[in-house]
Amino acid sequence: MIPLQISPFQYIVNGVVFSSIIVLAAIGLSLVYSIADFANFAHGDLMTVGAFSGLFSVAIFRPMLGDVGLFGLPLWFFLALAFGMVAAAVIAVVTDRIIYQPMEDSGSIGLLITSIGVALVYRASIFLSFGSDSERYGVARQGPIPWIRESFGVAITPRNFVVVILATVLVTGLHLTLTRTTLGRKMRATADNADLARVSGIRTDEVIIAMWLIGGALAAAGGVFLGLEELVRPRMGFDILLIVFAAVILGGIGSVYGAMLGGLVIGMVHELVPLFNQWGIIPVGSRYAAAVAFVIMVAILLVKPSGIVGESG
Amino acid sequence: MSVATWVNDTLVRDPTERRIFATLAIITALLVVGVFAGVIGPRFLLFQVALVGMYALLSLGLNVQWGYAGLINFSVAAFWGLGAYSAALLTAPNSPLGMGLHPIFGFLAAIVVSALVAILIGIPTLRLREDYLAIASLGLAEVIRLIILNERQWTAGSSGISGIPSLLEWLPLTSAATTASIVVVLLALTYLFLRRIHRSPWGRVLRTIRSDEDLAKALGKDTYRFKMQAFVVGSVVMAIAGAFYAHLNLYIDPSDLVPLTTFYIWIAVILGGTGSNRGAVVGAAVVIAIREGSRFLNDIAFIGNLGLDVAPLRLLFVGILIILIMRYRQDGLLPPKDELIWPSAQKESSAASRGAAASDGGVVTDGTTSGGPSDGGENQ
Repeated sequence: MIPLQISPFQYIVNGVVFSSIIVLAAIGLSLVYSIADFANFAHGDLMTVGAFSGLFSVAIFRPMLGDVGLFGLPLWFFLALAFGMVAAAVIAVVTDRIIYQPMEDSGSIGLLITSIGVALVYRASIFLSFGSDSERYGVARQGPIPWIRESFGVAITPRNFVVVILATVLVTGLHLTLTRTTLGRKMRATADNADLARVSGIRTDEVIIAMWLIGGALAAAGGVFLGLEELVRPRMGFDILLIVFAAVILGGIGSVYGAMLGGLVIGMVHELVPLFNQWGIIPVGSRYAAAVAFVIMVAILLVKPSGIVGESG
Repeated sequence: MSVATWVNDTLVRDPTERRIFATLAIITALLVVGVFAGVIGPRFLLFQVALVGMYALLSLGLNVQWGYAGLINFSVAAFWGLGAYSAALLTAPNSPLGMGLHPIFGFLAAIVVSALVAILIGIPTLRLREDYLAIASLGLAEVIRLIILNERQWTAGSSGISGIPSLLEWLPLTSAATTASIVVVLLALTYLFLRRIHRSPWGRVLRTIRSDEDLAKALGKDTYRFKMQAFVVGSVVMAIAGAFYAHLNLYIDPSDLVPLTTFYIWIAVILGGTGSNRGAVVGAAVVIAIREGSRFLNDIAFIGNLGLDVAPLRLLFVGILIILIMRYRQDGLLPPKDELIWPSAQKESSAASRGAAASDGGVVTDGTTSGGPSDGGENQ
């Protein structure tokens, strides 16, 4: 942190960046909730799997591509991102096929508890293959973009831009998929009423695979971005799972657009906690940012459990 | 009734159970032989007994919530921590509060604090679908851990609290034997109390709620109130276990408040048999065996030479165990059976079934999951 007086806009910039990450994670969680119908506690660790898969591929892509850059970041980083997304998507589908699918009969609660086991297996595998230390992607440190700093007094690094823009692209892509394509319509139909969808000839099995692919890829993108902004840690995903859940509940469980909105709000609040503290609105500082997200979640459950977008609890 | 018939009637009902109890008996015998042969230190064994007892208390608490009422509580570690910290802060002379009170106040504070926190988290979540409590309790655990870590002026943060007094030092036993006997008494009292309320009309309503909440509502039960009561009872038992642990370990820090502790207890309950108190106790013993056993793995030269870190292997094992139990043996080792029925009712109905067709006996062996209000013990 810069010891000087930090402009309030700086917190908003940080909030937008963090929100982008939370939105990506929340969408995947919400998709699983609406289509597979259970709270997936392994989603945070799926983000970690994506982040570490990306890290693994850096060792391959970096010597191949060298210093070729794109938007102020090395090209290999984008390939690592893509690799992480594909890896997490595949792992999500495989997990569904060998673990969740055969257990369909045990209901949403049985699947919920199983997902805890899956989360532990993911995390243990990462510990075993990468060790327990924090890692970095090795993208060179960058200062804030000078002209923005001079004209607006806020520090925005090129990687901040890349994270926000790519997250926007991914979310827009998902929106277009859901609204403009046959697959999207099938997904919405299945989420709305799986039995009805099946009766009208939709192969819900294919929809579920597509859902895990999309959810896994978006989770991995969130994980890689989090690793880029902070560190790549084996516990990174589980540590922000609470915040992601808060976003999903705020938006309304099972609503993808709610998850986007909830992610935006919770991510923003999370980063604005120090500012609110400075202004005397709340008595706690940034150490309690996760607790503030939790309090918002509990408040929503008390006032409007269906969330700000959802229709039914 | 002789001991043998009692064992036959209450403990050993079918071949699977007989095998499980036989295995446990053999392991216990081996441990005792180990002590006499001098391989296992008696202090060590007594400490493990106390640890198993504490885990059994936690499992019994979770069993009230998940096993009786179907409530998913992922903050077992937090309620345990509330109990441990209540005891440590009030009784240790060099804690930040520095009061050095009698341990009884620690236990009372543990009960009051955990009940209040349980009510606070129950109010927003218990009217909603089960998974809301799961999510909120995971968050609650994290918040409690954050508070204990950050509010150093009250909780001493990560440096922890030492100098917690032992319990009942005037007893003419070694301190290890004292704590082990205390936990056995505590466990027995809790077990009897929980079995009593599980068999009561209150317990039957909870079982109905677990299998079909709408049915319970249709029967005019205020399900929210019943779920809240079960949640509070379970949380208080967990806090008592925590307070006991503070006096067992004589030192407490926030490192055990991690979610993994909670998942150990979940394994104990679902492995033991959801809804079964006997199962919860057996499950707790198995979990301690896993925890302590994996610690010894490090000492085996062969594994030490591989350079593997045991902690992630244990994590992997715990994860796989959860998946396997949920997939292949959701009933657990000792699923609840006719222990839910009053002994006298059991006698009546077995007499009836001897007289009438054998199919009548089917009611008696009805398990928790299907056990609705038409359970065999209804006419009590």
